[in-house]
Amino acid sequence: MKTMILIGGILLSTATHQALAEEQCGKVTIADMNWSSASLIANVDRFILEYGYGCEAELIPGDTMPTSTSMVEKGEPDIAPEIWSNSVKELIERGVSDKRLAIAGHSLSDGGEEGFWVPQYMVDKDPSLKTIEGIIAKVKTFKHPEDPDRGAFYGCPAGWGCQLSAENLYRALKLSDAGFDLVDPGSGAGLSGSIARAYERGKPWFGYYWAPTAVLGKYKMAKVDFGSGIDVDHFRDCISKVECADPKVTMYPSALVQTVTTTDFAEKSTQAFAYLGKRSLTNAQMNGLLAWMEDNQADGNIAAEYFLMNHEDTWLKWVPADVGAKVKAAIEAL
Amino acid sequence: MADYSWLSKFPKMDRSTLLEIRKYLDGSFRDFSREYGDVIESFFDPLLDFLIWFEKLLVQSPWWAVLLSITALVYFTSRSWKLSLGVVVSFLLIGYFGMWEDTMRTLSIITVCTLLAIVLGVPIGILMSRSNRTQALVTPILDVMQTMPAFVYLIPVVMLLGIGKVPGVIAVVIYAIPPVIRLTNLGIRLVDKEVLEAATAYGANPMQRLMGVQLPLASPTIMAGINQTIMMALGMVVIASMIGVKGLGQPVLKSITNQYFTLGLFNGLAIVALAIIFDRASQAYAKRSQKHMQGGHHE
Repeated sequence: MKTMILIGGILLSTATHQALAEEQCGKVTIADMNWSSASLIANVDRFILEYGYGCEAELIPGDTMPTSTSMVEKGEPDIAPEIWSNSVKELIERGVSDKRLAIAGHSLSDGGEEGFWVPQYMVDKDPSLKTIEGIIAKVKTFKHPEDPDRGAFYGCPAGWGCQLSAENLYRALKLSDAGFDLVDPGSGAGLSGSIARAYERGKPWFGYYWAPTAVLGKYKMAKVDFGSGIDVDHFRDCISKVECADPKVTMYPSALVQTVTTTDFAEKSTQAFAYLGKRSLTNAQMNGLLAWMEDNQADGNIAAEYFLMNHEDTWLKWVPADVGAKVKAAIEAL
Repeated sequence: MADYSWLSKFPKMDRSTLLEIRKYLDGSFRDFSREYGDVIESFFDPLLDFLIWFEKLLVQSPWWAVLLSITALVYFTSRSWKLSLGVVVSFLLIGYFGMWEDTMRTLSIITVCTLLAIVLGVPIGILMSRSNRTQALVTPILDVMQTMPAFVYLIPVVMLLGIGKVPGVIAVVIYAIPPVIRLTNLGIRLVDKEVLEAATAYGANPMQRLMGVQLPLASPTIMAGINQTIMMALGMVVIASMIGVKGLGQPVLKSITNQYFTLGLFNGLAIVALAIIFDRASQAYAKRSQKHMQGGHHE
């Protein structure tokens, strides 16, 4: 008799657990990638999934290529909040067609803004520098640190997706003939360090960068106009690829920045997946948050708290009412 | 109402205080960089010119000339046919796999770094060995140089000097110089006191003692230090490439970012080959110069 009651009790508890499991998404790993905007979004996701959806959300460090590869090959982490899909296009497309990855939505609704930039103070003094022709004419101003006869154009670090596009456009614009050397800064820190150094000293700088970033939020730069408009097809078929026999000049189209998850996660936690689809920020919002992060030397965790506390109208739209209430209560308790 | 939260969580500094400290230090470094940046840059200009010249020399000379001179150098320091053959084979393989130019760039910058580390490190080691107070002062500095993550001191260096060869040399030298300093200090201190006394008894002045007794007797240890310095300098190649130094480090970085295993492996093996050649050549030279010790001395 006792065994019957015991078995009955166990079955009942598993039944209720089953019902609760519909809302609980269990253990979830989120990639905390090593740049400010991605870290901010990852921390916001972690907070909302933990307190709003009852997941056991955990952040693990990541970077575009290793995280994407790990998601395709090992199914882990579950969520990558900010993938700049242009850099890993083939990998993501293969992952989606192999049914290992699912695209939840756009992290940055405006898309990323890429281009070649010069400091604003240079353009203020000499408006001709707004166009590429003006820059080519003044190549001598952009002195190369190690070769006094050449100018320096700062490309992307080795291995980044933008290295291909920057190099192809460097060829299309015939910058080498104009006297510019393509400088490989080695790392993201090297590239942003070179901008910081030039800007702090009021010196010239010309190279590739992207928005929204803390660097462009802090140092006002002007995007250089190639005068060619945007040729999306040519960019996709040639400029962004390693073999581009005849690159032609085009401005950068807006970069696709998406939230990518594993298919396991998408199928298991449909409500959380739906939230990820709705969670999206405009470039203006992101730039503002990045500027705040910079001023307050905040990491993703503190910035996420700031965002949740001060921008309710934004994030309440991403979640259903009951989830929103739970998250609000958790914020008050902070 | 007593607050016992410190029993479970460490009582941290107030976040706003920490923030103010960080902003103050960042701000003062920025001002320093603005004021003295150009002066410091011009101080390093001769070094930069030499680095550029040396790299151009190695990269633009015909490959067989460079190969011949390296092999000749290795043979004359080591007098070993096997080693010279190994040098020829490994450089031929490196060139055949398309890594010649990168290897020449890495070779040029690492050679300069190693020479700088030795030229600066041995005298500092000698000074340390003379006085316990100097040793107590310098040892913590060496500890910091060896364990502080490179990017921590690279950020201010990049702010001051930009990306390129000079910050790369600074990074490599900072990381690679401690072994030669420590082991020079150790080697000299380990010289038998009786031998020193005998030298003084024969009327040697301190300089003669140093050059004639201490340095020769300490030379096995000093050569071990130089060897370790060379190894550590080559180990920093990838970090140097993260601040824009061209060479074998950049393909390795590319392979990390893009998960190209074989590219990373080949370039890594080229770095290993350079390390082994430097190591064997310097050790063989050390052994030959210590032939006089193979009398009654057993170490």
